[in-house]
Amino acid sequence: MSSRRVPRGEYIETDTGNKVARKATLVGTQNIMLGGKTVIQPEAMIRGDLVRTIQAPAPASGAPPNNTAVSIGRYCFLSKGCCLRPPGRPYKGAFTYMPLRMGDHVYVGPGAVIQAASIGSHVHIGAKVVVGEFAIIKDYVRVLDGAVIPPNMVIPSFSIVAGQPARVIGEVPEGMLESFELRDLYKTVGNNPQPPPV
Amino acid sequence: MSSSSKTRHSIVPPVVHTGPKPPVHFTSSISIADSAILIGTGLITIHSESVIHPRAKLDSTLGRVSVGRRCIIHERATLGAVPTPPPPSMPIVRGGEGMSVALGDYVIVEVGATVEGGETVIAEGTLIGVGARVGAGAKIGRHCTLTPMSEIAAGEMLPDFTVVYSNGLRRTDNRGMTELKNKGITRQIDVLRRMIKSNPQKFA
Repeated sequence: MSSRRVPRGEYIETDTGNKVARKATLVGTQNIMLGGKTVIQPEAMIRGDLVRTIQAPAPASGAPPNNTAVSIGRYCFLSKGCCLRPPGRPYKGAFTYMPLRMGDHVYVGPGAVIQAASIGSHVHIGAKVVVGEFAIIKDYVRVLDGAVIPPNMVIPSFSIVAGQPARVIGEVPEGMLESFELRDLYKTVGNNPQPPPV
Repeated sequence: MSSSSKTRHSIVPPVVHTGPKPPVHFTSSISIADSAILIGTGLITIHSESVIHPRAKLDSTLGRVSVGRRCIIHERATLGAVPTPPPPSMPIVRGGEGMSVALGDYVIVEVGATVEGGETVIAEGTLIGVGARVGAGAKIGRHCTLTPMSEIAAGEMLPDFTVVYSNGLRRTDNRGMTELKNKGITRQIDVLRRMIKSNPQKFA
Protein backbone atom coordinates (compact mmCIF):
# COMPACT_ATOMS: atom_id res chain seq x y z
CA MET A 1 0.00 0.00 0.00
CA SER A 2 1.57 3.28 -1.00
CA SER A 3 1.03 6.39 1.06
CA ARG A 4 1.28 8.68 -1.92
CA ARG A 5 -2.09 9.84 -3.03
CA VAL A 6 -2.74 8.90 -6.60
CA PRO A 7 -5.35 10.91 -8.46
CA ARG A 8 -8.66 9.13 -8.25
CA GLY A 9 -9.87 8.10 -11.64
CA GLU A 10 -13.42 7.35 -12.58
CA TYR A 11 -12.63 3.65 -12.67
CA ILE A 12 -10.92 1.24 -10.32
CA GLU A 13 -8.58 -0.90 -12.38
CA THR A 14 -7.70 -4.21 -10.79
CA ASP A 15 -4.64 -6.39 -11.32
CA THR A 16 -6.60 -8.72 -13.55
CA GLY A 17 -7.62 -5.83 -15.79
CA ASN A 18 -11.16 -5.30 -14.59
CA LYS A 19 -12.34 -1.73 -14.87
CA VAL A 20 -15.01 -1.06 -12.31
CA ALA A 21 -16.59 2.39 -12.14
CA ARG A 22 -16.60 3.96 -8.72
CA LYS A 23 -20.23 4.82 -9.23
CA ALA A 24 -21.26 1.25 -9.94
CA THR A 25 -23.42 -0.35 -7.26
CA LEU A 26 -22.07 -3.76 -6.43
CA VAL A 27 -23.93 -5.33 -3.53
CA GLY A 28 -22.34 -8.36 -1.89
CA THR A 29 -18.97 -8.06 -3.64
CA GLN A 30 -17.62 -11.19 -1.98
CA ASN A 31 -20.07 -13.25 -4.05
CA ILE A 32 -19.28 -11.65 -7.41
CA MET A 33 -16.58 -13.28 -9.55
CA LEU A 34 -15.06 -11.27 -12.37
CA GLY A 35 -12.97 -13.22 -14.88
CA GLY A 36 -10.76 -10.28 -15.76
CA LYS A 37 -10.76 -7.51 -18.37
CA THR A 38 -14.38 -6.81 -17.58
CA VAL A 39 -15.75 -3.28 -17.72
CA ILE A 40 -18.46 -2.19 -15.31
CA GLN A 41 -19.73 1.26 -16.15
CA PRO A 42 -21.23 3.77 -13.69
CA GLU A 43 -24.69 3.08 -12.26
CA ALA A 44 -24.52 -0.58 -13.20
CA MET A 45 -25.79 -2.77 -10.40
CA ILE A 46 -24.94 -6.35 -9.48
CA ARG A 47 -26.81 -8.13 -6.71
CA GLY A 48 -24.19 -10.41 -5.26
CA ASP A 49 -26.02 -10.56 -1.95
CA LEU A 50 -28.72 -12.82 -3.35
CA VAL A 51 -26.88 -16.10 -2.82
CA ARG A 52 -28.39 -19.54 -2.99
CA THR A 53 -29.72 -20.65 0.34
CA ILE A 54 -30.15 -24.33 -0.47
CA GLN A 55 -26.90 -25.98 -1.44
CA ALA A 56 -26.80 -28.65 -4.07
CA PRO A 57 -25.67 -32.01 -2.71
CA ALA A 58 -22.03 -31.45 -1.83
CA PRO A 59 -19.43 -33.23 -3.98
CA ALA A 60 -17.92 -36.31 -2.38
CA SER A 61 -14.54 -34.63 -2.02
CA GLY A 62 -15.98 -32.36 0.62
CA ALA A 63 -15.11 -29.16 -1.15
CA PRO A 64 -16.33 -26.00 0.54
CA PRO A 65 -19.72 -24.83 -0.71
CA ASN A 66 -19.51 -22.42 -3.57
CA ASN A 67 -21.25 -19.20 -2.65
CA THR A 68 -20.82 -17.33 -5.91
CA ALA A 69 -24.00 -15.49 -6.84
CA VAL A 70 -22.84 -13.86 -10.07
CA SER A 71 -19.89 -15.04 -12.13
CA ILE A 72 -18.72 -13.13 -15.15
CA GLY A 73 -16.12 -14.22 -17.72
CA ARG A 74 -13.47 -12.19 -19.52
CA TYR A 75 -14.00 -9.13 -21.69
CA CYS A 76 -17.56 -8.53 -20.59
CA PHE A 77 -18.96 -5.05 -20.84
CA LEU A 78 -21.72 -3.90 -18.49
CA SER A 79 -23.11 -0.58 -19.71
CA LYS A 80 -24.55 2.26 -17.71
CA GLY A 81 -27.60 1.51 -15.63
CA CYS A 82 -27.79 -2.20 -16.31
CA CYS A 83 -28.64 -4.62 -13.53
CA LEU A 84 -27.54 -8.20 -13.01
CA ARG A 85 -29.38 -10.24 -10.40
CA PRO A 86 -29.47 -13.95 -9.75
CA PRO A 87 -32.78 -15.65 -10.52
CA GLY A 88 -34.84 -17.12 -7.69
CA ARG A 89 -37.42 -19.89 -7.52
CA PRO A 90 -39.02 -22.31 -5.12
CA TYR A 91 -36.91 -25.43 -4.73
CA LYS A 92 -37.69 -28.41 -2.49
CA GLY A 93 -40.33 -26.53 -0.59
CA ALA A 94 -38.31 -23.41 0.05
CA PHE A 95 -37.26 -20.39 -1.95
CA THR A 96 -33.71 -20.03 -3.18
CA TYR A 97 -31.70 -17.89 -5.51
CA MET A 98 -29.53 -19.61 -8.09
CA PRO A 99 -26.20 -18.38 -9.46
CA LEU A 100 -26.08 -16.26 -12.61
CA ARG A 101 -23.28 -17.32 -14.94
CA MET A 102 -21.98 -15.32 -17.82
CA GLY A 103 -19.37 -16.34 -20.41
CA ASP A 104 -16.76 -14.22 -22.17
CA HIS A 105 -17.31 -11.24 -24.47
CA VAL A 106 -20.83 -10.50 -23.25
CA TYR A 107 -22.07 -6.99 -23.94
CA VAL A 108 -24.94 -5.81 -21.74
CA GLY A 109 -26.63 -2.68 -23.04
CA PRO A 110 -27.63 0.37 -20.99
CA GLY A 111 -30.64 -0.13 -18.74
CA ALA A 112 -30.86 -3.87 -19.33
CA VAL A 113 -32.03 -6.11 -16.48
CA ILE A 114 -30.60 -9.63 -16.54
CA GLN A 115 -32.07 -12.42 -14.41
CA ALA A 116 -30.90 -15.28 -16.59
CA ALA A 117 -29.58 -18.58 -15.30
CA SER A 118 -26.75 -18.62 -17.80
CA ILE A 119 -25.47 -16.57 -20.68
CA GLY A 120 -22.93 -18.06 -23.08
CA SER A 121 -19.98 -16.38 -24.72
CA HIS A 122 -20.06 -13.72 -27.41
CA VAL A 123 -23.55 -12.49 -26.59
CA HIS A 124 -24.77 -9.00 -27.39
CA ILE A 125 -27.68 -7.76 -25.27
CA GLY A 126 -29.13 -4.46 -26.43
CA ALA A 127 -30.37 -1.46 -24.49
CA LYS A 128 -33.37 -1.78 -22.16
CA VAL A 129 -33.62 -5.52 -22.63
CA VAL A 130 -35.25 -7.56 -19.88
CA VAL A 131 -34.02 -11.13 -19.57
CA GLY A 132 -36.49 -13.14 -17.52
CA GLU A 133 -35.65 -15.47 -14.68
CA PHE A 134 -33.86 -18.71 -15.55
CA ALA A 135 -33.58 -17.87 -19.24
CA ILE A 136 -30.62 -19.57 -20.89
CA ILE A 137 -28.82 -17.77 -23.69
CA LYS A 138 -26.26 -19.80 -25.63
CA ASP A 139 -23.24 -18.51 -27.58
CA TYR A 140 -23.21 -15.91 -30.37
CA VAL A 141 -26.68 -14.52 -29.71
CA ARG A 142 -27.76 -10.99 -30.49
CA VAL A 143 -30.67 -9.61 -28.47
CA LEU A 144 -32.04 -6.45 -30.04
CA ASP A 145 -32.94 -3.33 -28.05
CA GLY A 146 -36.08 -3.41 -25.94
CA ALA A 147 -36.64 -7.15 -26.17
CA VAL A 148 -38.35 -8.88 -23.25
CA ILE A 149 -37.11 -12.44 -22.91
CA PRO A 150 -39.69 -14.46 -20.98
CA PRO A 151 -38.67 -16.54 -17.98
CA ASN A 152 -37.21 -20.01 -18.68
CA MET A 153 -36.69 -19.33 -22.40
CA VAL A 154 -33.74 -21.12 -23.98
CA ILE A 155 -32.16 -19.28 -26.89
CA PRO A 156 -30.02 -21.42 -29.18
CA SER A 157 -26.64 -20.32 -30.51
CA PHE A 158 -26.40 -17.93 -33.47
CA SER A 159 -29.92 -16.53 -32.96
CA ILE A 160 -31.10 -12.97 -33.34
CA VAL A 161 -33.86 -12.28 -30.85
CA ALA A 162 -36.31 -9.39 -30.56
CA GLY A 163 -39.84 -8.45 -29.47
CA GLN A 164 -42.08 -8.41 -26.41
CA PRO A 165 -42.12 -11.30 -25.65
CA ALA A 166 -38.90 -12.13 -27.45
CA ARG A 167 -38.81 -14.56 -30.36
CA VAL A 168 -36.02 -15.78 -32.54
CA ILE A 169 -36.28 -13.60 -35.64
CA GLY A 170 -33.19 -14.65 -37.52
CA GLU A 171 -29.74 -16.12 -37.56
CA VAL A 172 -26.38 -14.43 -37.13
CA PRO A 173 -24.63 -14.51 -40.53
CA GLU A 174 -21.22 -16.13 -40.65
CA GLY A 175 -19.39 -12.91 -41.48
CA MET A 176 -20.77 -11.13 -38.41
CA LEU A 177 -19.11 -13.30 -35.79
CA GLU A 178 -16.17 -10.90 -35.53
CA SER A 179 -18.46 -8.13 -34.34
CA PHE A 180 -19.04 -9.92 -31.02
CA GLU A 181 -15.41 -9.39 -29.99
CA LEU A 182 -15.17 -6.85 -27.19
CA ARG A 183 -11.40 -6.41 -26.92
CA ASP A 184 -11.43 -3.09 -28.74
CA LEU A 185 -14.35 -1.79 -26.74
CA TYR A 186 -12.49 -2.71 -23.56
CA LYS A 187 -9.63 -0.41 -24.52
CA THR A 188 -11.89 2.59 -25.12
CA VAL A 189 -12.97 2.97 -21.49
CA GLY A 190 -11.09 3.33 -18.25
CA ASN A 191 -8.93 5.97 -16.67
CA ASN A 192 -6.81 6.48 -19.79
CA PRO A 193 -9.10 5.46 -22.61
CA GLN A 194 -7.77 4.88 -26.07
CA PRO A 195 -9.61 6.06 -29.17
CA PRO A 196 -11.47 3.27 -30.96
CA PRO A 197 -9.59 1.84 -33.94
CA VAL A 198 -10.87 3.06 -37.27
CA MET B 1 -9.99 -8.73 -6.11
CA SER B 2 -7.91 -10.71 -3.67
CA SER B 3 -4.86 -8.52 -3.25
CA SER B 4 -6.71 -5.27 -2.93
CA SER B 5 -9.77 -6.29 -1.00
CA LYS B 6 -8.45 -4.63 2.14
CA THR B 7 -8.20 -1.21 0.62
CA ARG B 8 -11.36 -1.46 -1.43
CA HIS B 9 -13.60 -2.47 1.33
CA SER B 10 -16.89 -1.44 -0.18
CA ILE B 11 -17.77 -0.42 -3.64
CA VAL B 12 -21.30 0.67 -2.89
CA PRO B 13 -21.29 4.42 -3.39
CA PRO B 14 -23.17 6.43 -0.81
CA VAL B 15 -26.80 7.14 -1.51
CA VAL B 16 -27.41 10.77 -2.27
CA HIS B 17 -30.23 11.96 -0.08
CA THR B 18 -31.65 15.17 -1.38
CA GLY B 19 -34.85 16.56 -0.05
CA PRO B 20 -36.66 16.26 3.22
CA LYS B 21 -36.67 13.17 5.40
CA PRO B 22 -40.24 11.94 5.50
CA PRO B 23 -42.09 10.79 8.61
CA VAL B 24 -42.33 7.00 8.63
CA HIS B 25 -44.48 4.37 10.25
CA PHE B 26 -42.88 0.93 10.28
CA THR B 27 -43.90 -2.24 12.00
CA SER B 28 -41.13 -4.20 13.66
CA SER B 29 -41.22 -7.16 11.25
CA ILE B 30 -40.29 -5.33 8.05
CA SER B 31 -36.93 -5.52 6.29
CA ILE B 32 -35.68 -2.35 4.74
CA ALA B 33 -32.22 -2.12 3.22
CA ASP B 34 -29.81 0.49 4.42
CA SER B 35 -29.52 1.97 0.95
CA ALA B 36 -33.24 2.30 0.27
CA ILE B 37 -34.21 5.88 -0.49
CA LEU B 38 -37.08 7.50 1.35
CA ILE B 39 -37.80 11.11 0.52
CA GLY B 40 -40.75 13.50 0.60
CA THR B 41 -42.96 15.11 3.19
CA GLY B 42 -45.93 12.76 3.50
CA LEU B 43 -46.15 9.80 5.84
CA ILE B 44 -44.62 6.55 4.57
CA THR B 45 -46.29 3.48 6.07
CA ILE B 46 -44.90 -0.01 5.60
CA HIS B 47 -46.93 -2.87 7.02
CA SER B 48 -45.68 -6.09 8.52
CA GLU B 49 -43.25 -8.47 6.80
CA SER B 50 -42.68 -6.32 3.72
CA VAL B 51 -39.22 -6.20 2.16
CA ILE B 52 -37.61 -3.13 0.61
CA HIS B 53 -34.52 -3.91 -1.46
CA PRO B 54 -31.46 -1.64 -1.69
CA ARG B 55 -31.91 1.46 -3.87
CA ALA B 56 -35.67 1.19 -3.97
CA LYS B 57 -37.14 4.67 -3.79
CA LEU B 58 -40.24 5.67 -1.89
CA ASP B 59 -41.18 9.25 -2.61
CA SER B 60 -43.92 10.88 -0.57
CA THR B 61 -43.61 14.31 -2.21
CA LEU B 62 -47.17 14.05 -3.53
CA GLY B 63 -48.77 12.68 -0.37
CA ARG B 64 -48.83 9.58 1.78
CA VAL B 65 -47.30 6.31 0.59
CA SER B 66 -48.63 3.09 2.03
CA VAL B 67 -47.17 -0.38 1.47
CA GLY B 68 -49.28 -3.37 2.53
CA ARG B 69 -48.35 -6.61 4.24
CA ARG B 70 -45.81 -8.96 2.66
CA CYS B 71 -44.93 -6.71 -0.25
CA ILE B 72 -41.58 -6.86 -2.02
CA ILE B 73 -40.19 -3.68 -3.50
CA HIS B 74 -37.17 -4.57 -5.62
CA GLU B 75 -34.11 -2.45 -6.30
CA ARG B 76 -34.49 0.74 -8.30
CA ALA B 77 -38.28 0.60 -8.17
CA THR B 78 -39.90 3.94 -7.51
CA LEU B 79 -43.15 4.44 -5.64
CA GLY B 80 -44.76 7.87 -5.77
CA ALA B 81 -42.78 9.30 -8.66
CA VAL B 82 -43.81 12.78 -9.74
CA PRO B 83 -45.56 12.30 -13.12
CA THR B 84 -43.70 13.71 -16.09
CA PRO B 85 -45.33 15.41 -17.87
CA PRO B 86 -48.10 16.08 -15.34
CA PRO B 87 -51.51 14.85 -16.52
CA PRO B 88 -53.69 17.81 -17.53
CA SER B 89 -56.71 16.53 -15.58
CA MET B 90 -54.92 16.37 -12.31
CA PRO B 91 -53.24 19.30 -10.63
CA ILE B 92 -50.10 18.27 -8.81
CA VAL B 93 -50.26 19.28 -5.17
CA ARG B 94 -46.87 18.97 -3.59
CA GLY B 95 -46.83 18.11 0.05
CA GLY B 96 -50.54 17.38 -0.04
CA GLU B 97 -52.23 15.40 2.69
CA GLY B 98 -53.86 13.03 0.19
CA MET B 99 -52.79 9.54 -0.74
CA SER B 100 -49.97 9.30 -3.23
CA VAL B 101 -49.60 5.54 -3.66
CA ALA B 102 -51.40 2.75 -1.83
CA LEU B 103 -50.18 -0.83 -2.23
CA GLY B 104 -52.32 -3.72 -1.02
CA ASP B 105 -50.96 -6.92 0.51
CA TYR B 106 -48.69 -9.31 -1.44
CA VAL B 107 -47.76 -6.73 -4.07
CA ILE B 108 -44.43 -7.17 -5.85
CA VAL B 109 -42.84 -4.22 -7.59
CA GLU B 110 -39.92 -5.51 -9.63
CA VAL B 111 -36.60 -3.97 -10.65
CA GLY B 112 -36.81 -0.49 -12.08
CA ALA B 113 -40.62 -0.31 -12.15
CA THR B 114 -42.21 3.07 -11.55
CA VAL B 115 -45.50 3.80 -9.84
CA GLU B 116 -46.44 7.43 -10.24
CA GLY B 117 -48.01 9.27 -7.33
CA GLY B 118 -51.47 10.84 -7.17
CA GLU B 119 -54.02 8.50 -5.57
CA THR B 120 -52.63 5.51 -7.40
CA VAL B 121 -54.00 2.26 -5.96
CA ILE B 122 -52.54 -1.18 -6.52
CA ALA B 123 -54.67 -3.89 -4.97
CA GLU B 124 -53.70 -7.16 -3.34
CA GLY B 125 -51.51 -9.72 -5.08
CA THR B 126 -50.54 -7.65 -8.11
CA LEU B 127 -47.16 -8.05 -9.79
CA ILE B 128 -45.59 -5.00 -11.42
CA GLY B 129 -42.95 -6.37 -13.80
CA VAL B 130 -39.43 -5.17 -14.49
CA GLY B 131 -39.35 -1.62 -15.79
CA ALA B 132 -43.14 -1.29 -16.00
CA ARG B 133 -44.76 2.08 -15.44
CA VAL B 134 -48.08 2.79 -13.73
CA GLY B 135 -49.48 6.25 -14.43
CA ALA B 136 -50.77 8.66 -11.80
CA GLY B 137 -54.22 7.88 -10.44
CA ALA B 138 -54.40 4.44 -12.02
CA LYS B 139 -56.38 1.82 -10.12
CA ILE B 140 -54.98 -1.67 -10.56
CA GLY B 141 -57.25 -4.51 -9.45
CA ARG B 142 -56.43 -7.58 -7.39
CA HIS B 143 -53.96 -10.23 -8.62
CA CYS B 144 -53.09 -8.44 -11.84
CA THR B 145 -49.82 -9.07 -13.67
CA LEU B 146 -48.02 -6.33 -15.55
CA THR B 147 -45.32 -7.99 -17.61
CA PRO B 148 -41.95 -6.26 -17.98
CA MET B 149 -41.90 -2.86 -19.69
CA SER B 150 -45.70 -2.56 -19.90
CA GLU B 151 -47.29 0.81 -19.28
CA ILE B 152 -50.57 1.75 -17.65
CA ALA B 153 -51.89 5.20 -18.58
CA ALA B 154 -52.68 7.77 -15.91
CA GLY B 155 -56.12 7.31 -14.37
CA GLU B 156 -56.74 3.93 -15.97
CA MET B 157 -58.80 1.27 -14.14
CA LEU B 158 -57.61 -2.32 -14.49
CA PRO B 159 -60.12 -5.03 -13.44
CA ASP B 160 -59.08 -7.88 -11.14
CA PHE B 161 -56.95 -10.73 -12.59
CA THR B 162 -55.90 -8.77 -15.70
CA VAL B 163 -52.63 -9.68 -17.38
CA VAL B 164 -51.05 -6.90 -19.43
CA TYR B 165 -48.48 -8.26 -21.86
CA SER B 166 -46.76 -7.72 -25.17
CA ASN B 167 -47.01 -3.96 -25.52
CA GLY B 168 -50.50 -3.51 -24.11
CA LEU B 169 -52.45 -6.67 -24.96
CA ARG B 170 -54.75 -7.81 -22.14
CA ARG B 171 -56.23 -11.07 -21.00
CA THR B 172 -57.71 -12.46 -17.82
CA ASP B 173 -55.82 -14.79 -15.56
CA ASN B 174 -58.08 -17.79 -14.96
CA ARG B 175 -55.55 -20.03 -13.32
CA GLY B 176 -56.98 -19.51 -9.86
CA MET B 177 -53.71 -19.96 -8.06
CA THR B 178 -53.71 -16.90 -5.87
CA GLU B 179 -53.32 -18.94 -2.70
CA LEU B 180 -50.32 -20.76 -4.11
CA LYS B 181 -48.79 -17.53 -5.31
CA ASN B 182 -49.16 -15.88 -1.93
CA LYS B 183 -47.55 -18.88 -0.30
CA GLY B 184 -44.63 -18.54 -2.70
CA ILE B 185 -44.24 -14.87 -1.83
CA THR B 186 -44.22 -15.73 1.86
CA ARG B 187 -41.38 -18.19 1.30
CA GLN B 188 -39.46 -15.69 -0.77
CA ILE B 189 -39.81 -13.11 2.00
CA ASP B 190 -38.51 -15.61 4.54
CA VAL B 191 -35.32 -15.91 2.50
CA LEU B 192 -34.99 -12.22 1.71
CA ARG B 193 -35.31 -11.24 5.36
CA ARG B 194 -32.20 -13.23 6.10
CA MET B 195 -30.30 -11.80 3.11
CA ILE B 196 -31.05 -8.13 3.23
CA LYS B 197 -29.47 -6.29 6.09
CA SER B 198 -32.35 -4.39 7.57
CA ASN B 199 -31.82 -1.02 9.15
CA PRO B 200 -35.18 0.57 9.95
CA GLN B 201 -33.65 2.86 12.58
CA LYS B 202 -31.93 4.84 9.88
CA PHE B 203 -35.22 6.13 8.57
CA ALA B 204 -36.95 6.69 11.87
